Amino acid sequence: MEKSLRTALLGATAVAVFSSSVWVLGAQQGAAQEGAAPGAGQGQGRGRGRGAAPSLPTPRLPDGTVNLGRVPGEKGVWGVPYITNMAMQVIGPDGQPVPEIVKLRQDQAAARAGGAGARGGGGGGRGRGGSKSEPWMPWMPWSAAVYDYHSLNESKYDPEGYCLPPGGPRMMATPYQAEILQQPEHKRVIMIFEGATHIWREIYMDGRKFPEGDQLNPTYLGYSVGRWEGDTLVVENKGFNENSWLDYFGHPHTDKMHVTERWTRPNKQTLHYEATVNDPGAYTKPFTMAWDIPWREGAELPEYICQENNRYLNRLEDDLGQPIFGPRPQPGVKPASGTR
Amino acid sequence: MRTGFLRAVSLALMLSLPAAAGAQFGHPMKGQWSGEWGSKSNPSRLLLDLDWDGKDISGVINPGPTAATVKSVAFDYTNPSAWGVKIQAEGKDASGKPVAISIDGKLENIGAYTKLFHGTWTQGGRKGDFTVTRN
Repeated sequence: MEKSLRTALLGATAVAVFSSSVWVLGAQQGAAQEGAAPGAGQGQGRGRGRGAAPSLPTPRLPDGTVNLGRVPGEKGVWGVPYITNMAMQVIGPDGQPVPEIVKLRQDQAAARAGGAGARGGGGGGRGRGGSKSEPWMPWMPWSAAVYDYHSLNESKYDPEGYCLPPGGPRMMATPYQAEILQQPEHKRVIMIFEGATHIWREIYMDGRKFPEGDQLNPTYLGYSVGRWEGDTLVVENKGFNENSWLDYFGHPHTDKMHVTERWTRPNKQTLHYEATVNDPGAYTKPFTMAWDIPWREGAELPEYICQENNRYLNRLEDDLGQPIFGPRPQPGVKPASGTR
Repeated sequence: MRTGFLRAVSLALMLSLPAAAGAQFGHPMKGQWSGEWGSKSNPSRLLLDLDWDGKDISGVINPGPTAATVKSVAFDYTNPSAWGVKIQAEGKDASGKPVAISIDGKLENIGAYTKLFHGTWTQGGRKGDFTVTRN
């Protein structure tokens, strides 16, 4: 009994102290996304354009509503892509990538062809260009400075690396699988995610209004109210806390953020996702991002635990040489490196 | 034996969790800060309660009868890892007389949970170093 209790408690301690190896993986893969095309319904995103399988018709529920999940009798999940820098997914009013991104991608492709490394917005790993490389983003001075800071230290403090949940659109950019369960009889839509700390979302489809004042308790995922506009699921989200980043690259947001999500399923194999971020606390005007999410036919959600064996934080120190987690040294006493 | 072990594990959990619980990645100046200013032999305690409304930083220094109201905050982002911050505030001393406060400091450890704000504090005729950390 005591042994099993001890084992359980040691496990709990490990969960609390150790962080995600995924963060390290993310740091390594930061560069991997630099060539990812903005998903604007162009069939260029990760997981798209593979093979020449013909598009299958959009599945529908018995009442004609678009089915964003499985067809009865079949298996399948959505393979959420890894979007490390959402600024590279920004689209204009025409639904196409903004011209600066198009040119940047052309320059990066030319640089790669010439053997040079890519820099600037969307560049991964070392040499990230910071806010100046993303002039299409409606920065405030502080949000640009924070982004530059994260660029300099290569997203060392990414909260998702600590196994904290993503906030807002990052749910659909964390590279694990997800399912969407429509429950019209309960007037709600449930989204469940393999990754991102094994979390779920509930979208209220009953026409309710947002809670006001202190009733709108700030949370990682915010408060979601949805509606159908034709074949598009439109979800309004407010009530975010400030404990997350918009993406791995470190675009910040505040609790003033309002996100409008639009989901369509143009065919069985594709979920098209758009998110308009309106955060007057961090950006001078709204911006919209988009990408596609491929259907993984026959797949099911596996178990993934972010915290398990996550040793990264055990040796992570902040800018002042203090451990990020765990006991802090006494004032004026800098911990000896490598002693933890 | 088991009680001691449980206490040790509980202590480890308590020490490891507050950092996550205090996460805040919005405007780095927003939040409550605590620390001291003045001489080491006779320090004055500080509590800064600051907010960001999307345009300005506002807030109060040492809430209570001698509270000072923040009037203006200016940032220098030249060094992304150590922002320059200047704060002007107005309050009252213990006798009720108006007193101006001028804070000239640096904001460091910007991405971590334990952000650090330190520099020079001038209040009335007194001047000294200050250090506050975000709670």
